[in-house]
Amino acid sequence: MDKKKSATPSRREFLKTAGLGVGVAAVAGGIVSADDAEAATLQDEKKTGYRETEHVKKYYDSARM
Amino acid sequence: MTSVLDAQLSLSAEEKFRAHFYLLLSRLLGAPADAELLGLMQELEGDDSAIGEAITDLKKLAANISVDQSAEEYEAIFIGVTQGELTPFKSYYLTGFLNEKPLAELRQHMDELGIEKSEDAAEPEDHIAFLCEMMHGLIVGSFGKPLALPEQYRFFENHIANWAPKFFEDLETTESARLYAPIGRIGKLFMEVESEAFLIAA
Repeated sequence: MDKKKSATPSRREFLKTAGLGVGVAAVAGGIVSADDAEAATLQDEKKTGYRETEHVKKYYDSARM
Repeated sequence: MTSVLDAQLSLSAEEKFRAHFYLLLSRLLGAPADAELLGLMQELEGDDSAIGEAITDLKKLAANISVDQSAEEYEAIFIGVTQGELTPFKSYYLTGFLNEKPLAELRQHMDELGIEKSEDAAEPEDHIAFLCEMMHGLIVGSFGKPLALPEQYRFFENHIANWAPKFFEDLETTESARLYAPIGRIGKLFMEVESEAFLIAA
Protein backbone atom coordinates (compact mmCIF):
# COMPACT_ATOMS: atom_id res chain seq x y z
CA MET A 1 0.00 0.00 0.00
CA ASP A 2 1.25 3.47 -0.82
CA LYS A 3 2.44 5.00 2.44
CA LYS A 4 2.96 8.49 1.04
CA LYS A 5 1.41 11.05 3.34
CA SER A 6 1.52 13.84 0.78
CA ALA A 7 -1.31 14.12 -1.73
CA THR A 8 -1.02 13.25 -5.39
CA PRO A 9 -0.47 16.24 -7.69
CA SER A 10 -3.98 16.03 -9.15
CA ARG A 11 -5.58 16.14 -5.68
CA ARG A 12 -3.45 19.13 -4.77
CA GLU A 13 -4.35 20.81 -8.04
CA PHE A 14 -8.03 20.21 -7.46
CA LEU A 15 -7.90 21.59 -3.93
CA LYS A 16 -5.84 24.53 -5.11
CA THR A 17 -8.48 25.60 -7.63
CA ALA A 18 -11.36 25.02 -5.22
CA GLY A 19 -10.83 28.36 -3.56
CA LEU A 20 -9.89 27.02 -0.13
CA GLY A 21 -6.46 28.52 -0.03
CA VAL A 22 -7.43 32.13 -0.37
CA GLY A 23 -8.19 34.03 2.77
CA VAL A 24 -9.06 31.37 5.28
CA ALA A 25 -5.45 30.41 5.80
CA ALA A 26 -4.60 34.08 6.22
CA VAL A 27 -6.95 34.38 9.16
CA ALA A 28 -6.22 30.95 10.56
CA GLY A 29 -3.81 32.52 12.98
CA GLY A 30 -6.74 34.31 14.54
CA ILE A 31 -8.70 31.10 14.92
CA VAL A 32 -6.14 28.91 16.52
CA SER A 33 -2.80 29.45 18.19
CA ALA A 34 0.25 29.47 15.92
CA ASP A 35 0.94 25.81 16.50
CA ASP A 36 -1.74 23.70 14.81
CA ALA A 37 -0.77 20.77 16.98
CA GLU A 38 -2.64 22.24 19.92
CA ALA A 39 -6.22 21.61 19.11
CA ALA A 40 -9.47 20.38 20.27
CA THR A 41 -11.83 20.55 23.09
CA LEU A 42 -11.94 16.92 22.07
CA GLN A 43 -8.84 15.78 23.85
CA ASP A 44 -6.72 12.78 23.10
CA GLU A 45 -7.33 10.57 26.08
CA LYS A 46 -3.78 9.32 25.79
CA LYS A 47 -2.67 12.89 26.63
CA THR A 48 0.24 13.18 24.21
CA GLY A 49 1.61 16.32 25.80
CA TYR A 50 -1.10 18.64 24.53
CA ARG A 51 -1.36 21.67 26.75
CA GLU A 52 -3.86 24.47 26.52
CA THR A 53 -2.33 27.88 26.08
CA GLU A 54 -4.30 30.91 27.27
CA HIS A 55 -5.06 31.80 23.67
CA VAL A 56 -6.46 28.38 22.88
CA LYS A 57 -8.45 28.37 26.13
CA LYS A 58 -9.97 31.71 25.20
CA TYR A 59 -10.96 30.41 21.78
CA TYR A 60 -12.53 27.30 23.20
CA ASP A 61 -14.32 29.22 25.93
CA SER A 62 -15.90 31.33 23.24
CA ALA A 63 -16.71 28.27 21.14
CA ARG A 64 -18.29 26.33 23.96
CA MET A 65 -21.98 25.74 23.46
CA MET B 1 10.26 6.75 13.55
CA THR B 2 8.47 9.84 12.27
CA SER B 3 7.45 12.17 15.06
CA VAL B 4 4.02 13.76 15.20
CA LEU B 5 5.56 17.08 14.30
CA ASP B 6 7.37 15.62 11.30
CA ALA B 7 4.11 14.11 10.07
CA GLN B 8 2.35 17.44 10.46
CA LEU B 9 5.13 19.29 8.66
CA SER B 10 4.75 16.92 5.73
CA LEU B 11 1.18 18.08 5.22
CA SER B 12 0.83 19.95 1.96
CA ALA B 13 -0.46 23.51 1.96
CA GLU B 14 -3.72 22.30 0.48
CA GLU B 15 -4.33 19.82 3.30
CA LYS B 16 -3.68 22.60 5.80
CA PHE B 17 -6.18 24.77 3.94
CA ARG B 18 -8.77 22.04 4.38
CA ALA B 19 -8.00 21.83 8.06
CA HIS B 20 -8.28 25.58 8.55
CA PHE B 21 -11.54 25.58 6.64
CA TYR B 22 -13.03 22.98 8.98
CA LEU B 23 -11.82 24.97 11.96
CA LEU B 24 -13.36 28.16 10.63
CA LEU B 25 -16.68 26.38 10.09
CA SER B 26 -16.59 24.92 13.58
CA ARG B 27 -16.01 28.34 15.03
CA LEU B 28 -18.81 29.89 12.94
CA LEU B 29 -21.30 27.18 13.81
CA GLY B 30 -20.43 26.36 17.41
CA ALA B 31 -21.40 29.63 19.02
CA PRO B 32 -22.63 33.10 18.12
CA ALA B 33 -19.88 35.21 16.60
CA ASP B 34 -18.11 37.53 18.98
CA ALA B 35 -16.51 40.78 17.87
CA GLU B 36 -13.21 39.02 17.18
CA LEU B 37 -14.81 36.45 14.89
CA LEU B 38 -16.82 39.10 13.04
CA GLY B 39 -13.53 40.91 12.56
CA LEU B 40 -11.92 37.76 11.18
CA MET B 41 -14.78 37.34 8.71
CA GLN B 42 -14.07 40.83 7.41
CA GLU B 43 -10.46 39.87 6.72
CA LEU B 44 -11.36 36.93 4.49
CA GLU B 45 -10.38 37.21 0.83
CA GLY B 46 -12.33 35.12 -1.67
CA ASP B 47 -11.08 34.38 -5.17
CA ASP B 48 -13.34 33.92 -8.20
CA SER B 49 -14.19 30.31 -7.41
CA ALA B 50 -17.68 29.47 -6.18
CA ILE B 51 -16.39 29.17 -2.61
CA GLY B 52 -14.45 32.39 -3.06
CA GLU B 53 -17.58 34.26 -4.10
CA ALA B 54 -19.46 32.96 -1.07
CA ILE B 55 -16.57 34.05 1.14
CA THR B 56 -16.71 37.52 -0.38
CA ASP B 57 -20.44 37.67 0.34
CA LEU B 58 -19.81 36.64 3.95
CA LYS B 59 -17.09 39.25 4.30
CA LYS B 60 -19.42 42.03 3.10
CA LEU B 61 -22.26 40.96 5.38
CA ALA B 62 -19.92 40.68 8.36
CA ALA B 63 -18.91 44.30 7.81
CA ASN B 64 -22.53 45.41 7.99
CA ILE B 65 -23.83 43.53 10.99
CA SER B 66 -23.39 44.12 14.69
CA VAL B 67 -22.40 41.48 17.24
CA ASP B 68 -25.87 41.73 18.78
CA GLN B 69 -27.62 41.31 15.44
CA SER B 70 -25.54 38.29 14.50
CA ALA B 71 -26.11 36.76 17.94
CA GLU B 72 -29.86 37.24 17.51
CA GLU B 73 -29.67 35.57 14.13
CA TYR B 74 -27.64 32.66 15.51
CA GLU B 75 -30.10 32.19 18.33
CA ALA B 76 -33.12 32.25 16.04
CA ILE B 77 -31.53 29.67 13.75
CA PHE B 78 -30.03 27.28 16.29
CA ILE B 79 -31.59 27.89 19.71
CA GLY B 80 -35.07 29.41 19.54
CA VAL B 81 -37.33 29.25 22.59
CA THR B 82 -37.64 25.48 22.75
CA GLN B 83 -36.04 24.71 19.41
CA GLY B 84 -34.27 26.71 16.73
CA GLU B 85 -35.15 26.71 13.05
CA LEU B 86 -32.45 24.11 12.58
CA THR B 87 -31.20 21.20 14.67
CA PRO B 88 -27.63 20.67 13.51
CA PHE B 89 -27.01 17.12 14.68
CA LYS B 90 -26.17 14.07 12.61
CA SER B 91 -28.63 11.88 14.53
CA TYR B 92 -31.47 14.33 14.01
CA TYR B 93 -30.87 14.64 10.28
CA LEU B 94 -30.60 10.89 9.76
CA THR B 95 -33.38 9.66 12.05
CA GLY B 96 -35.51 12.63 13.05
CA PHE B 97 -34.40 12.23 16.65
CA LEU B 98 -31.42 13.23 18.77
CA ASN B 99 -29.15 10.72 20.51
CA GLU B 100 -29.95 7.79 18.24
CA LYS B 101 -27.79 5.18 16.52
CA PRO B 102 -25.93 7.68 14.30
CA LEU B 103 -24.53 9.25 17.48
CA ALA B 104 -23.60 5.87 18.91
CA GLU B 105 -21.73 5.03 15.71
CA LEU B 106 -19.87 8.33 15.89
CA ARG B 107 -18.87 7.68 19.50
CA GLN B 108 -17.58 4.28 18.53
CA HIS B 109 -15.47 5.77 15.78
CA MET B 110 -14.21 8.53 18.07
CA ASP B 111 -13.19 5.86 20.54
CA GLU B 112 -11.29 4.04 17.83
CA LEU B 113 -9.46 7.26 16.93
CA GLY B 114 -8.70 8.28 20.51
CA ILE B 115 -10.98 11.31 20.48
CA GLU B 116 -12.65 12.19 23.71
CA LYS B 117 -15.30 14.85 24.25
CA SER B 118 -14.30 17.65 26.58
CA GLU B 119 -16.08 17.65 29.95
CA ASP B 120 -17.51 21.11 29.51
CA ALA B 121 -19.03 20.50 26.08
CA ALA B 122 -22.76 20.96 26.54
CA GLU B 123 -23.97 19.22 23.40
CA PRO B 124 -23.68 15.67 22.09
CA GLU B 125 -20.75 14.92 19.85
CA ASP B 126 -22.67 14.85 16.59
CA HIS B 127 -23.14 18.62 16.43
CA ILE B 128 -21.86 19.98 13.12
CA ALA B 129 -19.37 22.25 14.89
CA PHE B 130 -17.86 19.35 16.80
CA LEU B 131 -17.63 17.24 13.65
CA CYS B 132 -15.84 20.06 11.83
CA GLU B 133 -13.49 20.44 14.78
CA MET B 134 -12.81 16.69 14.67
CA MET B 135 -12.02 16.79 10.96
CA HIS B 136 -9.56 19.59 11.59
CA GLY B 137 -7.92 17.54 14.30
CA LEU B 138 -7.78 14.40 12.19
CA ILE B 139 -6.11 16.27 9.33
CA VAL B 140 -3.44 17.99 11.41
CA GLY B 141 -2.94 15.21 13.91
CA SER B 142 -4.39 16.63 17.13
CA PHE B 143 -5.28 13.18 18.40
CA GLY B 144 -2.01 11.49 17.48
CA LYS B 145 -0.44 11.60 14.07
CA PRO B 146 -2.36 13.02 11.09
CA LEU B 147 -4.91 10.54 9.86
CA ALA B 148 -4.26 8.99 6.44
CA LEU B 149 -6.59 10.17 3.72
CA PRO B 150 -8.48 6.88 3.28
CA GLU B 151 -9.23 6.90 7.01
CA GLN B 152 -10.26 10.56 6.89
CA TYR B 153 -12.57 9.60 4.05
CA ARG B 154 -14.10 6.80 6.13
CA PHE B 155 -14.82 9.25 8.94
CA PHE B 156 -16.16 11.86 6.52
CA GLU B 157 -18.42 9.40 4.72
CA ASN B 158 -19.87 7.88 7.87
CA HIS B 159 -20.47 10.99 9.94
CA ILE B 160 -20.53 14.07 7.72
CA ALA B 161 -21.18 13.38 4.04
CA ASN B 162 -24.48 11.65 4.77
CA TRP B 163 -26.17 14.69 6.31
CA ALA B 164 -24.07 17.88 6.42
CA PRO B 165 -24.69 18.91 2.79
CA LYS B 166 -28.42 18.93 3.52
CA PHE B 167 -27.84 20.83 6.75
CA PHE B 168 -25.77 23.50 4.98
CA GLU B 169 -28.45 23.82 2.32
CA ASP B 170 -31.03 24.29 5.09
CA LEU B 171 -28.79 26.89 6.71
CA GLU B 172 -28.50 28.80 3.46
CA THR B 173 -32.29 29.04 3.09
CA THR B 174 -33.65 29.10 6.65
CA GLU B 175 -35.92 32.01 7.47
CA SER B 176 -33.68 34.01 9.78
CA ALA B 177 -30.45 33.56 7.83
CA ARG B 178 -28.69 36.71 6.71
CA LEU B 179 -25.05 36.41 7.82
CA TYR B 180 -25.51 32.66 8.04
CA ALA B 181 -26.83 32.26 4.50
CA PRO B 182 -23.38 32.54 2.89
CA ILE B 183 -22.02 30.38 5.71
CA GLY B 184 -24.49 27.72 4.63
CA ARG B 185 -23.43 28.17 1.03
CA ILE B 186 -19.76 27.97 1.94
CA GLY B 187 -20.36 24.79 3.90
CA LYS B 188 -22.36 23.22 1.10
CA LEU B 189 -19.70 24.00 -1.48
CA PHE B 190 -16.93 22.80 0.81
CA MET B 191 -18.71 19.48 1.28
CA GLU B 192 -18.79 19.06 -2.50
CA VAL B 193 -15.09 19.88 -2.72
CA GLU B 194 -14.26 17.40 0.03
CA SER B 195 -16.29 14.61 -1.56
CA GLU B 196 -14.67 15.14 -4.95
CA ALA B 197 -11.18 15.53 -3.52
CA PHE B 198 -11.42 12.30 -1.53
CA LEU B 199 -12.30 10.47 -4.75
CA ILE B 200 -9.15 11.77 -6.40
CA ALA B 201 -7.02 10.54 -3.51
CA ALA B 202 -8.77 7.21 -3.04
